[in-house]
This record gives sequence, structure tokens and C-alpha cells, in this order.
Amino acid sequence: MRAEALKGHLNGLLLAALEAGPLHGYAVIEALRESSGGSIDLPTGTIYPALRRLEESGLIKGSWSEEAGRRRRTYRLTAAGRRSLAGERQRWLEFTATLSLALGTVPGPVSP
Amino acid sequence: MTAWTTRPVGPGEHPAVTGYLGLLAEQLPGDLVDELSDGLLQTYQRHARVGDPDTAATAAIAEFGDVSTVLNACVQACPGRQAARRLLLTGPLVGAAWACALVVTTAWTWQLPPLVPVLLAFTLFTTIAALVVGSAGRVSYRRTSTLGSIAAIAVLLIDTSLPVAALVAAPAVNAAVLLAIGASLTRLVWTLGRLPVLFRDGFALRVDQAR
Repeated sequence: MRAEALKGHLNGLLLAALEAGPLHGYAVIEALRESSGGSIDLPTGTIYPALRRLEESGLIKGSWSEEAGRRRRTYRLTAAGRRSLAGERQRWLEFTATLSLALGTVPGPVSP
Repeated sequence: MTAWTTRPVGPGEHPAVTGYLGLLAEQLPGDLVDELSDGLLQTYQRHARVGDPDTAATAAIAEFGDVSTVLNACVQACPGRQAARRLLLTGPLVGAAWACALVVTTAWTWQLPPLVPVLLAFTLFTTIAALVVGSAGRVSYRRTSTLGSIAAIAVLLIDTSLPVAALVAAPAVNAAVLLAIGASLTRLVWTLGRLPVLFRDGFALRVDQAR
């Protein structure tokens, strides 16, 4: 699945990746890759600014640590982030249920 | 912050990867570069475990995205751009409230020093220009960050001076004026809340790039 198809859903995906517990940026990417069976195909460098944007919005909170001589930022969901994720999930379920009704059934062959 | 442009290539790194990070470091705040470098180096090291260093560096950079793609994503997430976009979206609402208040109170009859309307008009047009350019920023993090901060300060000036001018010079403070003042004060409070983030981001960028 390419970046264009994910437009508008990236925030929800990132929040979902952090739902189980705090992760640093690279681990968020790994979690996304794992949960999508490797089908999410994003330039992974674009995930870091997206995490920053979520932090600016108060949906996640980051903190610095040091690993292998490098600074690493770990993020966790805030209460507002959990509420936002629940909303995103609900909207997604409604959307897919509606589309499944409209597109999910293939009509049989029309007899002449 | 790591000075990617001057430091030697360390163990577990590759010249192509550090060169890539050097290009990002020329444009972005140090904290963001540190975070990106941790991610890219982990990606490189994962590839290097199963392949030769040159192939691993090429694969890691391909997976991470080219410099312009990553820079573009960083500029779009820049606090200055986010603030400019929100102020641009709410501008017409506040503007409409004031237009209504000014017409209802026949603002052209207000007793104001002649310089005040000129300064207000100048500030308004400067703000709109900064907001339009800042919210459309795609290339330069520094310019987008600066324009966002300038626009936020200009909005604060407008949202302070318009209510003061109305309270001092309008013949009567009616519902339209109160509504416009309320709109300005709401935006003023929001903008004041964004200023620390905007200044921290702009200040960090300048300090990091001066090193």
C-alpha cells in the first residue's frame, strides 16, 4: 500500500502502533510493518515528522533517552491520543461497513 | 545534537548515510536530525547484517526516502506551517466579524489618529502575505518557521489593537463589536499558546545551524 493511499489515515495508524505501549520512531515503523504484514510502503523518513506533528497536537508525548551513543526519542499515547484513536477506529469501522454493503456483493450473471 | 556535517564516519555507519544526514542537518533543527539519524542508522544496520555495506547504505536510503521527500515532510510538519495554516483558516471568520462590527458602528466616522488605520491596514496585509507564504511552505524549513512566527506576532498585534481601537473610538459598543472582540480574544489566546513552540523551534534551528 503506497503513501497516497494512506493519506488521511497515517495519524490513526501511528496512534494504533503506540496503543500497546511506548515506542521510539524506528520501532513505530517496525510495528506498522508487522501489523500490516509488510504491505505499508512509506518512505520511513517521513514517519518522524508525522510523529512530531502528533506530539504538537498533544496526541502523543515524547521523551529523550540515549542508546548506543545516539539520542533516541520514545513516544507514548496521551489521554487525548487514546480518545482520538478510538474516534478514528469508529469512523473507519463505519466506513468499511458501508463500503462492504455497497461493494461487497458480486451480482450473478445477468441472463439475456 | 550531532554535527553530521563535520564529524568523521563512526563505527556502524557509512559515508553515504552520514552524507545524507549532513544534508538534512543543513536545513533542520538538531533534535529532529538526531531522531532521523537514529532511525536511518538503525535501518542501515539492519540491512548491513545481511549484505555488504554499500548495498546496505543504498537500501537504507531508498527505504528512508530521498532527502527532498524527507525535507518536504519535515517542512509540512513544521510548527510555523501548522500555525500559519490554522490562522489562515480562521482568518476569514474573525475578519467577517470585524467587517460586520466596523460597518454597523460606521467605523469611517471614528475619531482615530490618521496613522492608526494605515498601520492596521499595513499589519493586516503583511500578516496575510506571511500566512499565505508560510502555510504553503514546502522547501525551506527555516523560511517556513520564520514566516509562521512573524505571522503569529502580527496576528497578536491585530487582535490587540482592533479591540482597543473599537473600545476607545466606537460611538457605542453593541453586539456586533462584542462578537468581533470575542473572536479576536479567542484567536489571541490560541496564538499566545502557540508562541513558545514557534519560538523554541525557530531558536533551536538558528542555534543548531550556527554551530
